[in-house]
Amino acid sequence: MNPTLILALWRQRATSPVRLALLGMLTGMPLLMLAFAPMNLSVLGNAQGLILVLGAGMIGQDLSNGVLQLLFARPVTRPEYVMNRWLGVAGAGFAVSVVQIALACAILAARGHAAPGPVVLAFTAGRLVECLGLAAVLALFSSLIGGFGDLGLYLLTSLGSTIVQMAGQVKSWPWLQRLGGELLASLNPAIDFDLLMNTSPMPWFPIVAWLSTVTACLAVAILVINRRELSYASS
Amino acid sequence: MPPAEPAAVAGSTRRRPNLLLVAAALLLVARVVVGFYEERHPPSVEERVSWHPIEGAVEAAASEGKPLLYDFTAEWCAPCQAMRRELFADPVAAAEIGQMFVTVRVVDRAREEGRNPPAVDSLERQFRINSFPTLVVVRPEGGDPIVMTGYRGRGPALQRLRAAQMQLRLPPGMQGR
Repeated sequence: MNPTLILALWRQRATSPVRLALLGMLTGMPLLMLAFAPMNLSVLGNAQGLILVLGAGMIGQDLSNGVLQLLFARPVTRPEYVMNRWLGVAGAGFAVSVVQIALACAILAARGHAAPGPVVLAFTAGRLVECLGLAAVLALFSSLIGGFGDLGLYLLTSLGSTIVQMAGQVKSWPWLQRLGGELLASLNPAIDFDLLMNTSPMPWFPIVAWLSTVTACLAVAILVINRRELSYASS
Repeated sequence: MPPAEPAAVAGSTRRRPNLLLVAAALLLVARVVVGFYEERHPPSVEERVSWHPIEGAVEAAASEGKPLLYDFTAEWCAPCQAMRRELFADPVAAAEIGQMFVTVRVVDRAREEGRNPPAVDSLERQFRINSFPTLVVVRPEGGDPIVMTGYRGRGPALQRLRAAQMQLRLPPGMQGR
């Protein structure tokens, strides 16, 4: 872990008014709902929006504006750069999530519907693995395409996977349905800890699938960045 | 004289992530193996939603003053089984669903038995069901149904059900499809 790289990413994200405004909206809207309707923590939804806002262009932006050429003149290896971008985005997403969950718990407690400790813990753990998972997927897309193309690629892949799943439903082909479902799940890798604890025997597939997606995305992202020609002459 | 720059890493900045590649390959194999195994030996879960029989469900919904939730499902449909395990077996989600709706499960047996019981057939025709899973929310007195196809996880499904229930509370002129 290289704190300098991670801090540089956070500073870059914190100076973008658009990102900050979107983050504020994504964090605040569910809290507002929670303040007026008798609900539980599930109203907060998932961390997909947070990570997409924080992670869009996580590598592609540096590729497009020539920062990578300068960065790799320093004692930083390419795998180290990719891993720290991943940890930086996931860490920022998780930090925002923790603040949101803490505020949500305070609102629920003030309204007399305090969330039980194990539920809060399971929800927070779920957010952590979701942030790590989606940041890895975004790192892969961002290594493939410059600028904010990763966001477009992510949305296109999501749309394609949804179409595959729907085609499986309409045609009643379980394998196609499963394929679409797996693609969609891989695009937002998450583990539902609440579900894991309440199922007997505990299913291992969600854990193995999450680990597989994260390692595969990071490995491919590093290979792609390794293969990139970044000399000034190439641009 | 200014201090010297720290010495750069000698040679290339490229490093082959061998450990990560091996882990990714092993986990991919494990994913396929575990996926196949758990599909054939699905973990047993106790469903927490109490399903009303098709006959008498409309009357029950009218007397309880709740909308009906039809779960159109099939045994061969993998997302339907995932929805059973993740949504209908979750105690919190099931309690919320039970508070919002009178729930009716409609199991399609056309693939297994060649045809469906008349009550199932009639509901599938009424709501034009052509894929599974499909959730239909409708008032007991009739009107426009809210149809939700597919399953994309417990959270999104629960949010769609909440939105459907809120929508049915609106006066008919203000409801969208």
